[in-house]
Amino acid sequence: MTEKLLELKNVTMKFGGVTALNEVNLHVNKGEIAALIGPNGAGKTTVFNVVTGVYKPTSGEVNFNAQSLIGRKRYQVTKMGIARTFQNIRLFGESTALENVVTGADVHSKSGVVGAIFGTPRSRREEAAAVERGMELLEFMGLKHRAGQLGKNLPYGDQRRLEIARALATNPQLLLLDEPAAGFNPAEKVALAATIRKIRDAGYTVLLIEHDMSLIMDISDRVAVLDFGQKIADDVPKVVQNDPRVIEAYLGAPADAS
Amino acid sequence: MADKKFRYNLRDHAADYWERSPKWRRVSLSISFIAFFYALPFLNNPLINTPGSDFQSVLFYPVGMYVLMAIGLNIVVGKSGLLDLGYVAFFAIGAYTMAILGTHTSLNFWEILPIGIALAMVSGVLLGTPTLRLRGDYLAIVTLGFGEIVRIVAVNIEAIGGPRGIAGIPTPPDLFKAKFTILDPKPYYWVLLTFTLLIIWMVRRMAARRPGRAWDAIRQDDDVAQLMGVNTLKYKVWAFVLGAAVAGAGGVLYASQILSIVPDQFNLNVSILILACVVFGGIGNLWGVILGAALLAFTPERIRFLSQPRILVFGIALVVMMNLRPDGILPKKKREHFDPNWKTVEESGEGEIK
Repeated sequence: MTEKLLELKNVTMKFGGVTALNEVNLHVNKGEIAALIGPNGAGKTTVFNVVTGVYKPTSGEVNFNAQSLIGRKRYQVTKMGIARTFQNIRLFGESTALENVVTGADVHSKSGVVGAIFGTPRSRREEAAAVERGMELLEFMGLKHRAGQLGKNLPYGDQRRLEIARALATNPQLLLLDEPAAGFNPAEKVALAATIRKIRDAGYTVLLIEHDMSLIMDISDRVAVLDFGQKIADDVPKVVQNDPRVIEAYLGAPADAS
Repeated sequence: MADKKFRYNLRDHAADYWERSPKWRRVSLSISFIAFFYALPFLNNPLINTPGSDFQSVLFYPVGMYVLMAIGLNIVVGKSGLLDLGYVAFFAIGAYTMAILGTHTSLNFWEILPIGIALAMVSGVLLGTPTLRLRGDYLAIVTLGFGEIVRIVAVNIEAIGGPRGIAGIPTPPDLFKAKFTILDPKPYYWVLLTFTLLIIWMVRRMAARRPGRAWDAIRQDDDVAQLMGVNTLKYKVWAFVLGAAVAGAGGVLYASQILSIVPDQFNLNVSILILACVVFGGIGNLWGVILGAALLAFTPERIRFLSQPRILVFGIALVVMMNLRPDGILPKKKREHFDPNWKTVEESGEGEIK
């Protein structure tokens, strides 16, 4: 059951003189909801960028299903089964909600330009399958009624949900969520927690970055804490919550510490 | 607002009408439009006539040729958002293929046509693969350079005529009853129109399917497109190659009609003018681009009787138009639509996923 889906070994990421990640070891087990927390600038999104191939780490290993991800192109990483959302929403605003999702679902199509021009049976089949998958996911995220609306015209919450739907459309094994609850009200957060659980129960593995502690403590099986590019804790939520180093990172050192 | 009352959005109304129309009406409308354009050379209407130049010739070049090239460039600039300032290079490659093979071998137009298209596509791959990693301005500069290089190479190679170019290019063999001669531009126009319709059909199919979505994604956010699994380099090269193929086909046909070509016909002005057609009509909107190209090509011919000042009038008209409609005549605007089957699901997580 504790099969490691994603594993970062001694990953260091330097930008010039700045060390964003310093010898970080991190793993995500298959079928769990893992969380990555830490103060602003701790390197959380850098972890996502290293995993998805946006950055090539200065040193260290990134393995997914025991295969190295280093040096792979971004679209190849997505094809292998890692999909992500973005901290600042990055939808295709001029495309409809359905088109956004279907763009993700296209990953597994094999037909391309020639198939599209000549309308080959495979192209038609894959188009239909991608659209069906897209509608299914829109319905799952409660966005079916938005299918024909442009991404930029959706309300904020729906944009966040659409990003999750688009990421799911690539059929990932691992779903990376970058602050999915940012800007949500308490009721929306509860609904989101339920959705994330449902996604896990459907067989996906989730790694999320989040600042909302109650959400994290509620849904995650394991929490890793980053501070100034270093991992300072990695355990079940209860233990992490009471770890003095974590409290220090978030709240500063107690006044009586000498 | 007072102007709101008078604003009649022709495009939206036309699109609504089209969407509401049953199939028989769409088919009959399409057939009548196509028939009209095939009959256009016989139309002797004083409104669209071109005093000072032969109307039938104008229909072939510049009008038809600009429309064809603008559709091709629109795949690159409009659909995928890649600024290509050297588009004329592919036109030149098509034209020179026709000129060289036509004068040195016994191949005829129909046999050279696929070779010209293939050569244009190959040069599209050769130029595109290394350079399409660049973005925005950098890509524009590289393509600008490529356009000039092709022309300068043609000027400097004596074997292909150097600056004097190539003369005596053969006309296409007779097709059915149509005779291709220098005196009658009608058959050329019909061939060009057929090419154009074929390309419109292809472009529309691509736009509605996976390549269209990939290009949309690349144009809007290249990084996110990659992270959503779009092989962006592959689709950019495809856009480039398809654009090149269209220009190559145009070049072959052009050379076989004009009978002699010189390198200076393929200068930067042509690239800029085709790009102007695309921008003027509405970047990314196929029908807008066609209309823009037709107008930009036709207007200088229509006002030829003004002789020298006509370019000034043309320039003023251009500036005025771009002020009135900064996004082009028919701007690209995705229309939102609703399907009654998409019933409202208020709660998140209503559906199930596999």
